[in-house]
Amino acid sequence: MSAPSLANYIVKRPWLKRWMMPIAQWYTDASGYRRLGLRADDLIPEENDVVQKALKRLPPKEAYDRIFRIRRAFQCSISHTLLPPAEQTKPSEDVEYLSPIIREIEKENKEREDLDALVVRR
Amino acid sequence: MMLSRSTFSRNAPRALQKQCSAAGASSRRGMASAATPGLQYDVTESAGVKVANREVAGPTGTLALVAKAGSRYQPVPGFSDALEQFAFKSTLKRSALRINREVELLGGEVSSTHSRENIVLQAKFLSGDLPYFAELLAEVASQTKFAAHELSEVVLKTIKFRQQALAANPEAVAVDAAHAVAFHRGLGESITPSTTVSLEKYLSAEALAEYAQQAFAKSNIALVGSGSNSADVAKWVGDFFKEAPTGSQLQNTASKYYGGEQRLSSKAGNAVVIAFPGSGAFGTAAYKPEASVLAALLGGESTIKWTPGFSLLAQATQGFSQVRASTQNLSYSDAGLFTIALSGKADQITSAGKNAVDALKKVAAGEVASEEIKKAVAVAKFRALESAQSLETGLEATGSALINGSKPYQIGEVAQSIDAVTEAQVKEVANAFLSGKASVATVGDLFQLPYGEDLGLTV
Repeated sequence: MSAPSLANYIVKRPWLKRWMMPIAQWYTDASGYRRLGLRADDLIPEENDVVQKALKRLPPKEAYDRIFRIRRAFQCSISHTLLPPAEQTKPSEDVEYLSPIIREIEKENKEREDLDALVVRR
Repeated sequence: MMLSRSTFSRNAPRALQKQCSAAGASSRRGMASAATPGLQYDVTESAGVKVANREVAGPTGTLALVAKAGSRYQPVPGFSDALEQFAFKSTLKRSALRINREVELLGGEVSSTHSRENIVLQAKFLSGDLPYFAELLAEVASQTKFAAHELSEVVLKTIKFRQQALAANPEAVAVDAAHAVAFHRGLGESITPSTTVSLEKYLSAEALAEYAQQAFAKSNIALVGSGSNSADVAKWVGDFFKEAPTGSQLQNTASKYYGGEQRLSSKAGNAVVIAFPGSGAFGTAAYKPEASVLAALLGGESTIKWTPGFSLLAQATQGFSQVRASTQNLSYSDAGLFTIALSGKADQITSAGKNAVDALKKVAAGEVASEEIKKAVAVAKFRALESAQSLETGLEATGSALINGSKPYQIGEVAQSIDAVTEAQVKEVANAFLSGKASVATVGDLFQLPYGEDLGLTV
């Protein structure tokens, strides 16, 4: 599930993007999930049909890695520790792996709704 | 109108005579003449794709894409099933749902099937919609997405249901097994993999996409239409199939007949299939019209109501109310399989099977009245012509002939070749069956069902 965001607005304007990127990177880093070894897509709430379906569509390796990261972060959280810096998620590793599938499913659902509400004029 | 008995009885023998005389086809003005409009296919080639079309006047049309990619040519089990199921799924341009809704709005019908040799994607539509469906077929052939999630969410599930349906039909299992012992690889591959094959091991979306490139290559497909204008069909096919993948045909070694016996235990029911090397499709080297006449002569299923009919198997199994017998000549592009299938109660199959083999021996010994053979010739001719005329079988046969480069179905010649079959030829082919190796497949309660040797066959 994607939250409302200004991202598209900013990305379309290169000057604004240049200006915002350092702030965005600082903010993401400060939010702390990378120090628990997670990726941004691991934080998407999964308690709904769309994300459940997307999780089923993940390739087996991706699905395994996701569960591993979540369990590792859970352990860190219980023991009130952070991962050693070598194991923390690097910004280059923090890529979207689930969101594209979610967007695809949302598009499918939207198409179905549109076609269901279709009015045929002949 | 009432027909008086005398009129009818006076004409009946004459009708039979006319039907069966060898010279009849040329002297008679009939539907079998070469110039029959509407039943003859116009063959052209546009954009490198072979196109055949017959102009049958009517408000609807049909366009079918025949690809030489049936279970015979698949590299690993399940590929032709999966390719068939992937037809009309999401393409690079539109989703499966959109294709579905659009076809519904236009009032057409799309379907896909596969046989041992071909995959057939078929669209039936109102005549005006030809361009849309030509585009759709081209899109399905060259731009299907083969999404991994569609494979696991839809296609694989459907194939599993089909496997179960196959396992529940002992006769289908036996026919598959008979093909396997008769031809080993190639034609011997089962049409849908049995439930024991682990499909997940073989099927992957990437491999399927690669196979589709070969299966739907221009040289490997033919388009067969019916009901539309030939010029239109050639034009639209030429327009939309420009981007179809180019490549060489899927290759396969020539079929060779082996023969043997296979027994499979099953709780679904009982079936015995006795098979011999039969006649190939018309226009191929393996074409033997006498085999199809022998199939009609042995028969088993009546063509008319309330009577077992004249066929030898129907007579031979008359005492066994719980056995179904049928004889078929399954013809392929370079071989054929002549099958006698018996299914029903195990103990009755055992005795009916012996009677069936005895009936075949009787034919081989020439102990069959010539009238019976004349009737069989008429039935065989009717079946051949009817299958050419009817849409489903005719489209595939024509497409297959085009791809394999043999003669397309010529109704006049088929009729002539079957008319020319003599008693001696039928006797000879029955003799050849009995002297060669048979293929026997037995499915069901193996404790009761007979071995091929018990039936009096050499296996």
